[in-house]
Amino acid sequence: MQISRREFLKWSVAAAISLGIELSLGSVSNVLAAETDPPIIWLQGSGCSGCTISTLNVTNPTTIDNVLLNKISMKYNSTLMTASGDLAMQTLDQSATQYNGQFILVVEGAVPTGANGNYCVIGEVDGTHLTMEQAVLKYGPMAKYVVAAGTCASFGGVSAAGANATGCLTASSILSGKTVNPVVNLPGCPVHPTVLIQTLLDLILIGMPSLDRSNRPSNYFGTKIHSMCPRKGTTVVKQLGQYGCYKNVGCKGPGTQNVCPSMQWNNGQAWCIGVNYPCIGCANPDFPANPLCKV
Amino acid sequence: MSTIVLDPITRLEGHLKVSVTLDANNIVTAAQATGNLYRDFENMLIGRGPKDAAFLTQRICGVCPVSHAIASVKATEQAAGFTPSLQSLLLRNLIQGANFISSNVLHFYQLALMDYVQGPQMHPWTPGYTQDFRFNATDSQALINNYVAALSIRRQAHEMGAIFGGKLPHVGNVVPGGVTAIPSATDITNFRNYLNTITTFIQTTYATDVNKLASTYSDYYTVGKGYGNLISFGVFDTNTSGNKLYPAGTVTNGTIGSFTQTNIKEYVGHSWYSSPSGYNPASETTTPSFGKAGAYTWLKAPRYNGAAYEAGSIARTWLTGEYRRDVSVMDRHLARYTETNKIAINMQTWLNQVVVGQNQFTNLGTPASGSGIGLTEAPRGALGHWLSVASSKITKYQIVTPTCWNASPMDDAGIVGPMEKALIGTHVVNSAQPVELLRIVHSFDPCTGCSVHVMSPEGLEMSNFVVQPLGV
Repeated sequence: MQISRREFLKWSVAAAISLGIELSLGSVSNVLAAETDPPIIWLQGSGCSGCTISTLNVTNPTTIDNVLLNKISMKYNSTLMTASGDLAMQTLDQSATQYNGQFILVVEGAVPTGANGNYCVIGEVDGTHLTMEQAVLKYGPMAKYVVAAGTCASFGGVSAAGANATGCLTASSILSGKTVNPVVNLPGCPVHPTVLIQTLLDLILIGMPSLDRSNRPSNYFGTKIHSMCPRKGTTVVKQLGQYGCYKNVGCKGPGTQNVCPSMQWNNGQAWCIGVNYPCIGCANPDFPANPLCKV
Repeated sequence: MSTIVLDPITRLEGHLKVSVTLDANNIVTAAQATGNLYRDFENMLIGRGPKDAAFLTQRICGVCPVSHAIASVKATEQAAGFTPSLQSLLLRNLIQGANFISSNVLHFYQLALMDYVQGPQMHPWTPGYTQDFRFNATDSQALINNYVAALSIRRQAHEMGAIFGGKLPHVGNVVPGGVTAIPSATDITNFRNYLNTITTFIQTTYATDVNKLASTYSDYYTVGKGYGNLISFGVFDTNTSGNKLYPAGTVTNGTIGSFTQTNIKEYVGHSWYSSPSGYNPASETTTPSFGKAGAYTWLKAPRYNGAAYEAGSIARTWLTGEYRRDVSVMDRHLARYTETNKIAINMQTWLNQVVVGQNQFTNLGTPASGSGIGLTEAPRGALGHWLSVASSKITKYQIVTPTCWNASPMDDAGIVGPMEKALIGTHVVNSAQPVELLRIVHSFDPCTGCSVHVMSPEGLEMSNFVVQPLGV
């Protein structure tokens, strides 16, 4: 990894502070400047943390170390953050208060409303637990932008599938009419890391993207997978596992909008159709459709 | 007497709370682990075709989706009376192995290490406890640099797995009948290049760092033992006869034994369920009841012969004899390293056996009726899926997860879970910064997204917990 001067200062200061080494004032102010990076608060509800893990996989526009060190200030993400317990909950509330109206709230997972929200508790404040529903309702209106990362947060997804016994709702339905800007939906199971990180950077640098009817950025979700599919026009096969087009075996590509054919996944290594399986429509509002595919 | 409540415990997948009671000498006298998320996962599968299950159940956990896919396809293949080809098993091993490596590297560097070394003075690495950091300047800097390097290595492990699996997290093609990828020579070269880079990291950087941690915090060889009883369902098929790199089994009071699923009973006396307690999973039901008196978690308490068992790397490596020093915070880290290295080495062997251009996938019909059990391991421990099918639809689907064992609550007989037991007796030096508790909890690599599920195998007898060869 190529370490920029700014990164170098951040990391070396950490080591220095931990050892009680005195630093020059100039170095410290450089480090403190890093804390002016745009603040992100990332809450995880009813989901699998797969969208956080997918985000760690980002390579385009840059890798996650550069994102965390130089592009954003990740105030709260329970998978990544060092603080636990009271210290974590204080960080959450203080960050939201300090950056009221400025931070970006990322909602990962759906929001359970059954059992008064008690199917998902994200932490405890002064002896009282805070449900995901309460947290989204509290911090969503304080955010400048709200991003729904993944299909669960955008459309309910697997968390709301079947009878939806836990009463899972989407971020936008929980926050309907309560946010400064419309909730930006970034579906995908998981969210594509480039879509997530580039959208965060665009929100910071440019502002709200153009959204489609499903509140998705038009530039990522304007094209059907089938219309961009490199298998389009190849032999229409009747069985998965064979090379060809899967439109006759239930491929959801003709009805699904996502970046898979152009960006692929995992640093461009592969994607579902590339390994001979039909698209299961994981970015669709009706995901997981029953059945996922005909085969 | 005082109490400490840690909610949330961060740096894990899911929602976990831990509360402990301290005596006048700051020794933990009681502990409770609380799973704070309920998803009702199994019920949403009922009425769907069994082939959908491999895709839906991966979405239980974004950290170990491949293990869920493999457990699910094993269950469906057993119900269909089908034995996958060796080539399919090899590809599954390579995809699952990539997921194991990514998860274990993530665990050591991103999830556990910040309990021992101070990160950069910026979010998300600060604030944090400053208690009991012992590394010198050189070692601190090296560990922090390796934290960054590990972000790249765990990402590359996912990229490697995606070559045959389509994407990670949540692979696209591990399905009943095999794996639909057709490996090309380029794929294999690409995979090998990744594996070489990753193996070098494991054998140099990870090896150095885990040993550095163990020598600097050698007192943690005596912290957080728990019961010492271990359980594994077995993982990584090495042939079509059911042999595995890590076989199934149990360790009970130091004695290695087999496993019989009828010895499992689940208790909900202290869990938020109103359904009956103390049943074998084959006959139990699950009715959520938040706020039930005396209950404190969404996790149930599975017990084997009435005792609490721990799952994970330490169980797997103990059963093979690779790692048998003891069970503790530091032993768990060393066992996890030991198996990561072994998996990487064996992936080279499996990759060498992959045949270029061979379509090893068999298009299975959907089983009209029947039942099956799929057993494997997630990085954090034993994982099983139990499936029943009628009229080509799922009629029952139950999932046994690793953190169900590890972070289980007190059972009806008053026996606490393995993680709770591991916390009891710990001396907390500074109750305002109880880093000892975090180190113990993190050593289990808990994953509560995985843990919020009922477990109800269909009463099928398993000898030594090995899936019988099918269709023969």
